[in-house]
Amino acid sequence: MGRAALLRYVPGAVVALFFAALPLLATGSDARYVLKVFTFVGVNALVVLGLALLFGYAGQVSLGHAAFFGLGAYTSAYLTTRLELPWIIGLLAAVLVTAIGGMLLALPSLRLKGHYLAMATLGFGEIMHVAFVEASGITGGPDGFSRIPLAALGGFVFESPQAKYWLVWGAVAVGFIIAGNIVSGRPGRSMLALHGSEQGAVASGVDITGLKVRVFTASAVYAGVAGCLYAHVVGFISPSSFTLHNSVIFVAMAVLGGGRSLAGPVAAALILTLAGFADAVFPGLSRETLAVIQDWQADLYGLIIISVMLLAPAGFAGLYRAGLRSVGVKL
Amino acid sequence: MSGTLAVRGVTKRFGGLVAVDDVSFDVHEGEIKAVIGPNGAGKTTLFNVLTGFDTPDAGSATYAGQELLGSRPDRVVRRGVARTFQNTRLFEEMTAHENVMVGTHARTSSGFTSAALRLPRAFREERLASEEADRLLRLVGLAERRDTPAADMPHGLRRLLEIARALATSPKLLLLDEPAAGLNATETAGLADVLYRIRDHGVTIVVVEHDMGLVMQVSDEIVVLDRGAKIAEGPPRLIQKDPAVIKAYLGEEDLDD
Repeated sequence: MGRAALLRYVPGAVVALFFAALPLLATGSDARYVLKVFTFVGVNALVVLGLALLFGYAGQVSLGHAAFFGLGAYTSAYLTTRLELPWIIGLLAAVLVTAIGGMLLALPSLRLKGHYLAMATLGFGEIMHVAFVEASGITGGPDGFSRIPLAALGGFVFESPQAKYWLVWGAVAVGFIIAGNIVSGRPGRSMLALHGSEQGAVASGVDITGLKVRVFTASAVYAGVAGCLYAHVVGFISPSSFTLHNSVIFVAMAVLGGGRSLAGPVAAALILTLAGFADAVFPGLSRETLAVIQDWQADLYGLIIISVMLLAPAGFAGLYRAGLRSVGVKL
Repeated sequence: MSGTLAVRGVTKRFGGLVAVDDVSFDVHEGEIKAVIGPNGAGKTTLFNVLTGFDTPDAGSATYAGQELLGSRPDRVVRRGVARTFQNTRLFEEMTAHENVMVGTHARTSSGFTSAALRLPRAFREERLASEEADRLLRLVGLAERRDTPAADMPHGLRRLLEIARALATSPKLLLLDEPAAGLNATETAGLADVLYRIRDHGVTIVVVEHDMGLVMQVSDEIVVLDRGAKIAEGPPRLIQKDPAVIKAYLGEEDLDD
């Protein structure tokens, strides 16, 4: 293997190995907590993978992705808790419902661009949030759902922190590979073309209407699957997890990660999620320090985002590419 | 006729302005036809209508017997009619090779599912599309710029790249909107060679152009538009002497001199 190929594939393999082995590395009294936090990282990473397709590749903005995250969570929670259906049915239903939701949200995107599209998706997110609160017969209202059954597959219950972690990161791995295949092939190229010039894409025979619907749908399904996993890992959901604030954080992760990249947004999901749980990375942190960090969390996010945008507007992916280039790798 | 573009009574109004006024002409298979006229004559609007980027108010345009007008632009491309733009519409952050690869979109088919699952069919299709893109880059003389992002290419080469992208859709009819605009003399001469090469590959060409040297050199027939209407049509040597054309280009006062 040449040096360029080594530099291109080895970092990914090392990172994958690290995440796969984390449950074995994390031992001691904090292990449960560390794994729980990294499980959240995985949930966010899954949402952000979908956003990377939509925003980083196709150039379409969504400020409503927390709604899909919630839609997946509520769909699965309702079916498994109220109707006592198996988890796998909940998961499949979450995929189906969020796919339909994604298609519906694609409708404004066919006519609107840029800020206007952002506003429309923001409206969608708010409508869904109100629905989660008000449709209390189905959603449990402001109190939400509790005692959601754990994910289980063929008799195996994902109960231990390790099992939950592997379930979520297994989904991230599958999602990463699927997204990677999509972006490296014909659909990915048409998404980049759409981002680059709509007229140019149309003149090349790209059906941009169909493409936008497909990208929105795929992106919504990623969020929906993440929502389903979240519900069954935590066992409790309420509307407060699916607000505009969450949507904005997801977009921030996608922007920080950088365009035309999947690994960048996942790295951003890791860093921004961990910023809220600093004690999982630095176990010695005192309770007081942690409280200060959590009080200033929103400011911390803002600071990270502003710094990265100032120093590296192309995000983590751009930084990484610049790094590769500086050691002489031709991209 | 099989490979004929038949434009009949095409009219396009913007409010009170008649941008294209009852224009009719034919383009025969294997021909290079130029559409010329003073600024604002309606040439680009005519192209936009023919390629589905604008809807006409009246008229029809059939290619190989199929109506083009009223179709979505991406469907027009699938019928074998491709175009370039007066202001290039390239994918700036993609390389020359990737830009041309997008052009193969119309005749490849692997979608989200087959790409996601890496089906062998999608794989094979990608390889063929990539080879085709390289072939077209060689055809327009851009092989050495294969991996250069479009944004980093000089103006003249960008025009050639857009032509290569249009060719990747495998058109039978190619509509070029001012391909020589902004090119120097050497580049324009090179463009003429590229046009001949494309024509020799069996592609019929309609070209909107202001560079009269190029128009007179390459075109078999010329259509002249003025204020939206066709005022003359014929081979270059006759168009050069046509009083209506001279009047449109030079203005009435000049004729009175």
